[in-house]
Amino acid sequence: MHILIVEDETGLATELMHFLAQEHYVCDWASNGREASEKVAVNRYDFILLDLGLPDYDGLDLLKEIKSTDYDPAIIILTARGALEDRIKGLGLGADDYLPKPFSLLELQARMQAVLRRKFKLQSSSVMFHGFEMDSSSRRVMHGHHEIVLTKKEFDILHYLLLHKNRILTRLQLTEHIWGNILEDDYDSNYIDVHIKNLRKKLSTYASTDWLETVRGVGYRIAI
Amino acid sequence: MRLQTKLALFSAASKVIVLLLLILGLPKLVNTVALHNADARLQLKEEKMYQIIEDQGIESFITEEDGNAYGSYNLFREEFISLEEINSGKVVNSIENSLRKVENEVVRYRVLSSTFDLGGKRYLLEIGRSLATIENNSKTLQKYALYVLAAVVLLTVFTDLAFSKILLRPLNLIMKRLQRVEHPSSFTPKKLNTTTQDFLYLNDTINSMMGQIQEAFQKEKEFIGNVSHELLTPVSILQNRLENLLADPETPESQLEKLVDNLRTLHRLKNIIQALLLVSRIENEQYLRNESVDIPQLAQEVAEEIKERAEAREVSLEVDLKGDFTLGKANQSLLFTMFFNVVNNAIKYNKPEGTITLTGRSLPTGYELCVTDTGVGIPAENLPHIFSRFKRLHAPDGESHGLGLTIVKTIATFHQIDLSVESVLGQGSTFRFRFPA
Repeated sequence: MHILIVEDETGLATELMHFLAQEHYVCDWASNGREASEKVAVNRYDFILLDLGLPDYDGLDLLKEIKSTDYDPAIIILTARGALEDRIKGLGLGADDYLPKPFSLLELQARMQAVLRRKFKLQSSSVMFHGFEMDSSSRRVMHGHHEIVLTKKEFDILHYLLLHKNRILTRLQLTEHIWGNILEDDYDSNYIDVHIKNLRKKLSTYASTDWLETVRGVGYRIAI
Repeated sequence: MRLQTKLALFSAASKVIVLLLLILGLPKLVNTVALHNADARLQLKEEKMYQIIEDQGIESFITEEDGNAYGSYNLFREEFISLEEINSGKVVNSIENSLRKVENEVVRYRVLSSTFDLGGKRYLLEIGRSLATIENNSKTLQKYALYVLAAVVLLTVFTDLAFSKILLRPLNLIMKRLQRVEHPSSFTPKKLNTTTQDFLYLNDTINSMMGQIQEAFQKEKEFIGNVSHELLTPVSILQNRLENLLADPETPESQLEKLVDNLRTLHRLKNIIQALLLVSRIENEQYLRNESVDIPQLAQEVAEEIKERAEAREVSLEVDLKGDFTLGKANQSLLFTMFFNVVNNAIKYNKPEGTITLTGRSLPTGYELCVTDTGVGIPAENLPHIFSRFKRLHAPDGESHGLGLTIVKTIATFHQIDLSVESVLGQGSTFRFRFPA
């Protein structure tokens, strides 16, 4: 998977590239609009992460340029300006998703996966893990022929942990993922603990849940 | 009351007063005029009489056989002329009312009396006109004068109305334009087509004031955008760097907890910035109100979304929503945030095994939604301040930035929702949202 990161902030681009490289993506970086325009014309990218606030280019113009190429890359807009019309215009011009900064890298990856699944109409949305099977399109978790009925939040947490398997997810990252669209006064990590407790209880009826690990003082991890 | 109505009423009232004064004063006036006219006629006749006497000689009127007197009446005794020789040396020259007996009937006359000397003799000439005739004429005159006056008053009232309507048309136009503007940012300055200086001035002033407001709004918008970018970019870099460190296998396990603490602190900073930006953006009218939102349904959705939190805190959440209500021109996600924050607060500040009730009912004036908790309550002296920024009046933990209720209040104001709070210390609080119909 070939990704172009269009981002004028070196610090941010560095962290993005580091993260995506770890996740085995091949990354290019353009730090301004002119460079991005050249790279888009020369290479064929699968995915473009586009910061709208560029020093030399209107990000929305660049978006139009990208959309007029003969290949059809997936596009996620990243912006810290957060103007609402940018979001509406960006999605109207054919961006696949919009992620306001600051975002969690894990959230970015989850969104990228969702965009790819939507864009390339991936049929198989099933994941097998420790004798369980999760279907993310029908939002069902099975053990053999038995369905385990999870609440929406429980499913989302399990799904997010599975997506980032073998990685420690902090309570904060999980909270932001399941409540992220609501701006709250503060955050209470206890709710995540309660959800994990309930998840373990429901899953352990069928098999051991040792693989859903608690990392003391840090968070949770699914080991596969 | 509208200016045009006031002007019309004033014009009508002043004309009615003038009309009444005329009706009261008219008989006297017309009578005087009629009398004056009658006198002038009598004098004219007097002169004619003298002319005839001069031409024909007094003998044609007065002879010895007649007893030195002449008298003539017309058929209905409306006028008479008498001429007689008198012995008195008195010179008379007057016009006055007097009673005369004519053929056994007393008639009131206006009589011109005049003496003159001719051939060594003195004569008295009297010409009379019956007062009844004069008054009759005057009545007719009064009647017609009244008709004409009434017609003139009516006509002027209508012309006044029409004229004031034409004159005030530019003012009405300005008012209509202003009524259409929901917010200064949606105002477009327009020229006014009138020669009335006052309205031109008013229109120009409104245009320039609105322009200034719009400019201030635009500047604030740019400022918000810049603040957003400049503050959130470093936060963004820090967050991603910490996340990468957390995932780095080379990071010693002992440092992980510290990293998580740092992420928490960073989250707090991010939350404050975002809360402030949200409030500023709403006040800067950057959010659209282009959705119709079913309020009871939205409250139900919030309850669904949050019920697991209530369960986790062992607080029971009761929902009792009656009636239907749709809020037009609304922003669904902002309203969701508003309810969510209030219900979340109710969970946060509740007692263990407490209750939260979400009640909705239709009102004649719209809809009312109440969130009632059985929590710690808010002291009366703090109630006026709970929506102020950074007032953390009863936060049990150190992480709350105290902007939650400010956000709630800002969203309510943005939608013209009336928000009030009642609270009894130790028993709980009620947040009451009243939606306009």
